[in-house]
Amino acid sequence: MPPIPRPLALLAELTYRCPLKCPYCSNPLELARYRHELDTATWQRVLAEAAALGVIQVHFSGGEPLVRRDLAELVQHARQLDLYSNLSTGATLADPATLERLKEAGLDALQISLLDARPDGNDWLTGAASFDKKRVAVENAKHLGFPVTLNVVLHRHNLDRIEEIIDLACRWDVDRLELAHVQYTGWAFRNRAALLPTREQVERAAEAVVQARRRLSERPAILHVLPDYFQQYPKACLHGWGRVFLTVAPDGAVLPCQTAREIPGLVFPNVREASLESIWFDAPVFQRFRGTDWMPEPCRSCERREIDFGGCRCQAFLLTGDPAATDPVCHLSPLHPVVERALVEPPREAAALQFRVITHSS
Amino acid sequence: MSSAIRRPVLVPHARYRWDKLRQQHQLVFPEGILVLNEPGAAIVQRCDGRPLAELLVALGEQFPDANLGEDVQGFLERLARKGLLRDATDS
Repeated sequence: MPPIPRPLALLAELTYRCPLKCPYCSNPLELARYRHELDTATWQRVLAEAAALGVIQVHFSGGEPLVRRDLAELVQHARQLDLYSNLSTGATLADPATLERLKEAGLDALQISLLDARPDGNDWLTGAASFDKKRVAVENAKHLGFPVTLNVVLHRHNLDRIEEIIDLACRWDVDRLELAHVQYTGWAFRNRAALLPTREQVERAAEAVVQARRRLSERPAILHVLPDYFQQYPKACLHGWGRVFLTVAPDGAVLPCQTAREIPGLVFPNVREASLESIWFDAPVFQRFRGTDWMPEPCRSCERREIDFGGCRCQAFLLTGDPAATDPVCHLSPLHPVVERALVEPPREAAALQFRVITHSS
Repeated sequence: MSSAIRRPVLVPHARYRWDKLRQQHQLVFPEGILVLNEPGAAIVQRCDGRPLAELLVALGEQFPDANLGEDVQGFLERLARKGLLRDATDS
């Protein structure tokens, strides 16, 4: 076995609380089960342990990380540890004073989500009047000198407006525009039939991005992540399980991937009980799909096994019931027809979308 | 489109750091990390909008045995293509 590489990036999910209700949220479906959040001192210890373990970048995320009053303090701690810090926010709570505190704390980069180029489309999907708040937050962030990435998740209901989205990113003068299609796990899997675009939509949008890149030369830089359901090969999920990334969830659980709780039978260690170093190198859950030994055919003998690492484990479980199966997005998977069938299913009306809610189980 | 870069400056989301654990020079940006060699690190740390000629002089002092002129321009253009560097004369 080759030596276990050290991680490069930590996803710090500070909270699952959020004022928005996006129907493709990557948080777990059973949000109410994870209400006991780590305190400031524990997060500071986690950041220090991450830096010592080799982490270079920390992505502060959520939920909405701005609901945490200690966010600037944590950013400052990350800066002192010489970590590169990113913040992913819905920005509805990003008032000028908050942004200024984050700037002073040494935040390196800011990613602001937007759901549609049109205010009504955006506000419908977030379940709140958020468009204008996002616009003002982008303005304020730029004024403070933050590099701003606008993050737009693509699906059936906004994909035809991709030109409008690109135009808006130009008007708002953001540094980067990230156009990433919905990943169908968690809330998005539940809403798949209402979110999945048609192949024609996907191809037209991809062409629009190519045209825009030609027209715009450099600003904003456009990153376009294609939807894996329409690809021949699966995405290189996490760049390999337990290889580059780790996630610490709001309750302190350490996950190889932020949606790994979807896979039943995995036991997640907690930073309250063990060090990040011992978890990364020794916890069975990190060993479970690490490297290539766990792979079934056709992955095991595939020349792409260290390019896409067998694809996404959560997706393999959701689509086949077996988390160790080849990601069925791959055209070489014997179970690939489950993806093809999803693509020809009649779409469900937008009215059928189930928005993110916190349900209290007994 | 790529005329020579005259006043190279890193974009605000690109940050140079020395990685003690890995003993590496790195340029870090939101999606990734670029590992730099010694001359690369020396160049990147001086991409602050000063004229290229000045940068080359400083570099010549640090690496007297190397002839870095054309390599530097190529390196800067590669960084610019990755969106990590721009020409301060453009704005």
